[in-house]
Amino acid sequence: MAEKQIKIVVSGPYAAGKTQFINTVSEIKTVQTEAKTTRTGEKEKKSHTTVAMDFGKIKIDDEHVLYLFGTPGQSRFDFMWDILGKGMVGLIVLVDSTDPNTFHEARKIINFFESRYPAPFIVGCNKQDLEGAWSPEDIRTALDLDDDVKVLPLVATNKESVKNVLLELLEEIAHHI
Amino acid sequence: MALSGDLKAFNFVDIFQILKKDKKDGILVVESDDDKKFGVYFKEGDIVYIRPIKKVFYLYLDIDFASVLRKEGIKEQELYQHLVSRLPILLAVKEGKFSFTPGFIKYTPEIKPLIPIEKLIMFLSRQLTPLEVERKISDEKLVFDKAENWEEIAKKAHLTDTEKKILSLIDGKNTVEDIKNQLQIDDLVLKKALYGMLASGIIKRAKRKRKLGFNLTKGLLKKIMNVIKGL
Repeated sequence: MAEKQIKIVVSGPYAAGKTQFINTVSEIKTVQTEAKTTRTGEKEKKSHTTVAMDFGKIKIDDEHVLYLFGTPGQSRFDFMWDILGKGMVGLIVLVDSTDPNTFHEARKIINFFESRYPAPFIVGCNKQDLEGAWSPEDIRTALDLDDDVKVLPLVATNKESVKNVLLELLEEIAHHI
Repeated sequence: MALSGDLKAFNFVDIFQILKKDKKDGILVVESDDDKKFGVYFKEGDIVYIRPIKKVFYLYLDIDFASVLRKEGIKEQELYQHLVSRLPILLAVKEGKFSFTPGFIKYTPEIKPLIPIEKLIMFLSRQLTPLEVERKISDEKLVFDKAENWEEIAKKAHLTDTEKKILSLIDGKNTVEDIKNQLQIDDLVLKKALYGMLASGIIKRAKRKRKLGFNLTKGLLKKIMNVIKGL
């Protein structure tokens, strides 16, 4: 029987923790398309960056597989957002709660998907365990999000935290079936 | 929780938006790159006083606003003139750091906001650069709607005639592109107005009808949730 793919997109600014998020719950080793970071301002944060997409996979049953697609964070790769947005059932936008300089980039990503692929979406405020993290409520206002959009605390290295964000998105999707 | 950052990435419009939305009381510390320091006192999201300081810790020596005024030698009835004279100096700071300490300072009920923050937000929005505007209004397909109490906020914001015309076309259906075409208005002027009206709470992003890219059933969704729970 042909496998049916259910797609959730994990997006967010550079170094928000998208690859980590997928790695934490994927049952296969995440397929990554990384390149060495060369740009000033980026290479100080991490040595490699996603250039096309990451994907992780969770088998649901013999017929269905849930794919988690991670988009590249830099807007110079935004052509990939368009490709990945098609056919998604939901979107998780991650932000680095300790780096408000990236919040505007997160808003641009939300604008992009909302204008073209308005699937249910939620925001995961990553790195809540680190000092200097903005609260999810302040991040909600910074991103101009309505009260009905879920803006959740997240630690992408923690499996239970990642599962919670995924489950919250699925709950949100349930309202639209 | 922290509310701090760099003014280059997070300007006063953005900061005021957050403080107003949650009606925050507290002190905003602004430290410019050329070493000017200010304590900006907020009551319920509105600025009540701006205090130039030599060292940041001075701000935390007083937990009562009345004692701040005593130390500064200012009477309550003089607050407006001090605020108005210091605002341009504060708002001219474009490069530096900010941090907000919520709570901390106690105000008496007599201390009232003297300048609506919505008016300041619109004033500052008119000076935004194309790069700054792009942060919120990054797509011409965006659609906005009026907020529930838009008339009340718009009155406080003192909109220009052009901004009023833009606002009249915001209806939850017109895109940014539609408004631009209908008014034959400069792109940057339009986006600055939208940025300001969004930050001041006059308008909000229109709700979109959600679409799923896959024919999910409730049963299948339940199955996915159970698998995730079991990971």
